[in-house]
Amino acid sequence: MNNLTHINVKVINPLPFQPAGLSGNADAILHEILALLEAFISTGQNGAIDLHSLPLTAADLELLRATLGDGEVSARIHVIGNTEVRETTYPGVWWLTYYSDEGNVVADLLEVTTVPEILKAPAEDVREGLVRLGDLLGATG
Amino acid sequence: MDLLQFARGPALTWAATVFVFGITWRLVGILLLQRSPDFSEARNATSWLGAIKLIVTRSWPRREFRQRTLFAQSVGYIFHIGLVIIVFGFAPHILFFKALTGLVWPNLPSAVINLTSAITLAALIVVLVRRLSHPVLRLLSNFDDYFSWLVTFAPVATGMLTVAHFGARYETLLAIHILSVALLLVWFPFGKLMHSALVFISRGTTGALFERKGASI
Amino acid sequence: MNEPDTLGAGLAHSGVSRRSFLKFCTVMASLMALPPGAAQAMAAALSQAKRQSVIWLSFQECTGCVESLTRSFDPTLEQMIFEMISLDYQETLQAAAGEAAESARDEAMKSSYGKYLLIVDGSIPTKDGGVYSTVAGVSNHDRLIDAARGAAAIVAVGTCSSYGGIPHANPNPTGAVSVSDIIKDKPIMNVPGCPPIPSVIAGTLAYFVTYGKLPELDHIGRPKVFYADTIHDRCYRRPFYDQGKFAKTFDDEGARNGWCLYELGCKGPTTYNACATIKWNGGVSYPIESGHGCLGCSEPNFWDKGSFYRPLSTPLADNAHIIAAGTLGGIAAGAVAAGLSRKHQTHIGEEK
Repeated sequence: MNNLTHINVKVINPLPFQPAGLSGNADAILHEILALLEAFISTGQNGAIDLHSLPLTAADLELLRATLGDGEVSARIHVIGNTEVRETTYPGVWWLTYYSDEGNVVADLLEVTTVPEILKAPAEDVREGLVRLGDLLGATG
Repeated sequence: MDLLQFARGPALTWAATVFVFGITWRLVGILLLQRSPDFSEARNATSWLGAIKLIVTRSWPRREFRQRTLFAQSVGYIFHIGLVIIVFGFAPHILFFKALTGLVWPNLPSAVINLTSAITLAALIVVLVRRLSHPVLRLLSNFDDYFSWLVTFAPVATGMLTVAHFGARYETLLAIHILSVALLLVWFPFGKLMHSALVFISRGTTGALFERKGASI
Repeated sequence: MNEPDTLGAGLAHSGVSRRSFLKFCTVMASLMALPPGAAQAMAAALSQAKRQSVIWLSFQECTGCVESLTRSFDPTLEQMIFEMISLDYQETLQAAAGEAAESARDEAMKSSYGKYLLIVDGSIPTKDGGVYSTVAGVSNHDRLIDAARGAAAIVAVGTCSSYGGIPHANPNPTGAVSVSDIIKDKPIMNVPGCPPIPSVIAGTLAYFVTYGKLPELDHIGRPKVFYADTIHDRCYRRPFYDQGKFAKTFDDEGARNGWCLYELGCKGPTTYNACATIKWNGGVSYPIESGHGCLGCSEPNFWDKGSFYRPLSTPLADNAHIIAAGTLGGIAAGAVAAGLSRKHQTHIGEEK
């Protein structure tokens, strides 16, 4: 055998779940969002759910995506790889997916808040930006 | 050295050595015994056919006693067959024998083994309860009976826990399972478990004697 | 150069935006299964914290652990940890050498006495006065005792410093031992693996920098958050184990179908690590996913637990000789017993 393609590799899905199989965790998450939204409206308390903390099947994730949908806002943040921030069709419910530099998902969260923290410009960075711009104008002008 | 290393290492080595030593000692000791001389005229020249015949017929309930012995014999058969299936059909066990003897055979699916183990455990509990509750049987039983039951029961129970990863860490469960097997191996030649070999010798001897005398078997 | 006071200012100083810092904290919080709100608290606490002084001592080792953390892919989230600590001594990474390096370490040990984090990779040889590994004429043993005195906590990175590792393997010619064999009076966290997963090293260090203490440890000193489950528990091939479907050789039908590698000696069921979930090389795969059984490299004495290809359910030793001897002994004992019985039988016969 001199060619790797001669090796007959057969990959079958090793997971016991069928593509249509739901674990029930998606439903639990949707109800948790409901509770977090109620808490946010009544007390202003931000909420978050780490999707990696629960075993989710592909069908679970699909159900979450289909139920929450895409809302009005979506943004990309370029820091050590991408971060996708998408508001769902339910205002105040955000889906944040953090990618590594190689494009792997390193964190996947749902946040209940007005604006996710990572979108806001940090006050210290704003202050440092002012200094840099001032320096630039001072130097050139 | 952790517990699993001890179990897979010295414990197994010494248990296996005691096992083969004890087995060969007892078998050789019995087989080399002097036969008492039989001065009667033989009705049949070859007696080994009778030996085999009696081994078979005595392994089956006799019509006259069937009603009384059927239950106990059925339960006995269930756990004996169960033990054979578990010991020789489970993939990790076959690996064990392969490492010892180099022989390999196909394994049974885990679901079959799990079901068999559950049935075997239940049957073993039934025979213990029967031994404890049956007045005659209880009178006949001694330490050997109960201890032999325990060293048979323990490997099946701990094996099931090991496969299910239930109750402790896997390495601890596996170590306990192997140690329980080591205990079985050490006890085997010296207690009533030795019946697994001797039952054939005693029945065979009786059968051969009957055949020679021309008695019905 | 003036080192900035707080970590936040320090990060800005080295061009790390606060957003990337928040991202690091989010990922680490998610990895360590902290509540999702913890990322922001972690980021806030860290940006106000002073840079944690870290002294990293390398003993009897191969530098694989440092390679794991620093040479994966560039730049990585894991390497953010270097922005959060003040690495005052690390032989492989530091620019200084000789007297300058030695005095930098001594200076850091003096100025941060009682507060610095001591990281150790490599085992410590103890035989013959510890002569088998020395740096600047000082044995690893003496250096460790000296450096541990002022440490707030010690992190043993890699299996060698955690449990002795490969230098400790039979016959252990240098008398190699682990950090916890020598130091008894300091909190010690073991982060074993040969090497450990980069995120696991970074995550546990981030935890210490944030909370000022070590995370919860298991009975052999490993952070539970990463070492609570076996590889087998989280293995994607587990369903095949449960079904009794095993690869028998590395190129048979079962191997091609991705069946369980138990029969090929996989140590997944007895190995506690996060490989099956976090994976390696930026999440590409882990050994079992690449078709080879787990070696159990994050367990004590993994090198001495028999062949890597010997299944877990088989005896460790080759028992053929001793069993043969047992058989012969049994035959001899049986023959003697039978001889005695025969004598007895004849005796009884004569009496009759």
